[in-house]
Amino acid sequence: MDFLWHKVSEKEKKEIKKQAKSIMDSFSKKLSKIGKVPEFVVERGEGDREEGKSECDENFSRKLMFENAPEKNKDFIIGEKKSW
Amino acid sequence: MVVAGKLKSYLKEIEKNNKKGKKINAILEVNPNVLKEGGKGKLAGKIIVVKSNINVKGLNASCGSKVLEDYTAPYNATVIEKIKDEGGLIIGMANCDEFASGSSGETSAFGPTKNPAVLDLIPGGSSSGSSAAVAADFCDMALGSDTGGSIRNPASHCGVVGIKPTYSSVSRYGLIDLSMSLDQIGVVAKNVSDAALLLDVIRGKDERDAISQESKKLNLKKIEEIPRNIVVGILDFKVQDKRIQELIDRKISEASEKYGWKVKKIKLDNLDLAIATYYLLVYVEFFSGTRKFDGRRYGEKIENVAGPEVLRRILGGSEISKAEHHGRYYHLGLKAKKLIADEFEKTFKKVDCIISPTVPRLPHKIGEKISIKEMYSYDTLTTPSNLAGNCAISIPIGKVEDVPVGMQIICDKFQEQKMLQIARAIEKI
Repeated sequence: MDFLWHKVSEKEKKEIKKQAKSIMDSFSKKLSKIGKVPEFVVERGEGDREEGKSECDENFSRKLMFENAPEKNKDFIIGEKKSW
Repeated sequence: MVVAGKLKSYLKEIEKNNKKGKKINAILEVNPNVLKEGGKGKLAGKIIVVKSNINVKGLNASCGSKVLEDYTAPYNATVIEKIKDEGGLIIGMANCDEFASGSSGETSAFGPTKNPAVLDLIPGGSSSGSSAAVAADFCDMALGSDTGGSIRNPASHCGVVGIKPTYSSVSRYGLIDLSMSLDQIGVVAKNVSDAALLLDVIRGKDERDAISQESKKLNLKKIEEIPRNIVVGILDFKVQDKRIQELIDRKISEASEKYGWKVKKIKLDNLDLAIATYYLLVYVEFFSGTRKFDGRRYGEKIENVAGPEVLRRILGGSEISKAEHHGRYYHLGLKAKKLIADEFEKTFKKVDCIISPTVPRLPHKIGEKISIKEMYSYDTLTTPSNLAGNCAISIPIGKVEDVPVGMQIICDKFQEQKMLQIARAIEKI
């Protein structure tokens, strides 16, 4: 196969899904041989951000944000128009 | 006046060879305001291209995808603010593999980027446009992102310098993510000194990126000093193309003789787990990260317009996330990641750096048919540093059949100063 971008058909999507699962299964199989690993939880410690210290981005452009939105009203972006 | 002249010459070169002429296709958008921007500071006079997955206010952060084809960044990433504060000029946005998902520069929805060194070959990816732009003389330097080798791999194929900084040492605020536990913004430049200069500007803790940490300021003058008493670890790995390893061995032998460095072969037992570990983590994190592209607030729904490689990661990530209750995928990936990181930590007690080819093979022709596993194998020697969080650099060391070859130098976390000194010393030979 080549890796050039192209529009993907529904049929190709199904093939890609199968192929992806098969690759992941082969990778999982490869790793299944590793034994016990000591503590592997991410230690955060000093990297933690203190509550209340986060900053707002004053340069954020509300105008550009609205221009990016596909559906909007006067001062809000419409998230979903269908019923839940 | 000198800067204006240089800028105009770069703009002329882009006009001549980006979409026309050689059709490098490295630049997706030229900054229409570039002639009015710039200022004083460490980067005054430096002209910079930015990968299109980094937000530059007012420019298109398309991520090389139809999903964000019409998305205009409403804010500046922290790295962009820092560049602007130091007088750097952003000339435009670079092409890249779609959502940074690729190792070849072929998966962009806006067409593949060509390798300026050999036009019918891939430039490498995913920061294909960033590296090709520097190599094609469209700019002085560039920003890219490196999740599994996305800066070092194209830097190697295009014959330029690329740095993946230590994980968490450069803010990712404003980076459109591929895999949050591995992504790192880094730099591409024509030489080690320029790469160090840009890295020094963008590094540092940022409250807007929760994982970011402070790191030591770089001493740019000291980078010119030859480091003494260095123990170089040469990675014991069977490279597909022997000519690549021969170039590395020759260069190290010269460095060792000239600078008195000790050289020893080292083996990383878990190296062959890296690709499997990396892709298990990336598929899941990418699937999770792309849930925001639902077509409601901006852009198109990703599943409707993405290309095959992005869909492979999303659909695969979705499938294995559903099956994760068995702990067979992501959990396993995290375990292996820890193993790999521990092995690096132990190794760096014995050596100052680990040297290997950046990529174990030469680039293929654009559009050539290769298997998925072959494509993923481009990342064999670059993914381990992302999994361990180390810093790494690729520097050009020669050519095989006119194709540039890069040497990768990996150092322990936050050892950028040492890594840059070693790289500069090798560059001088």
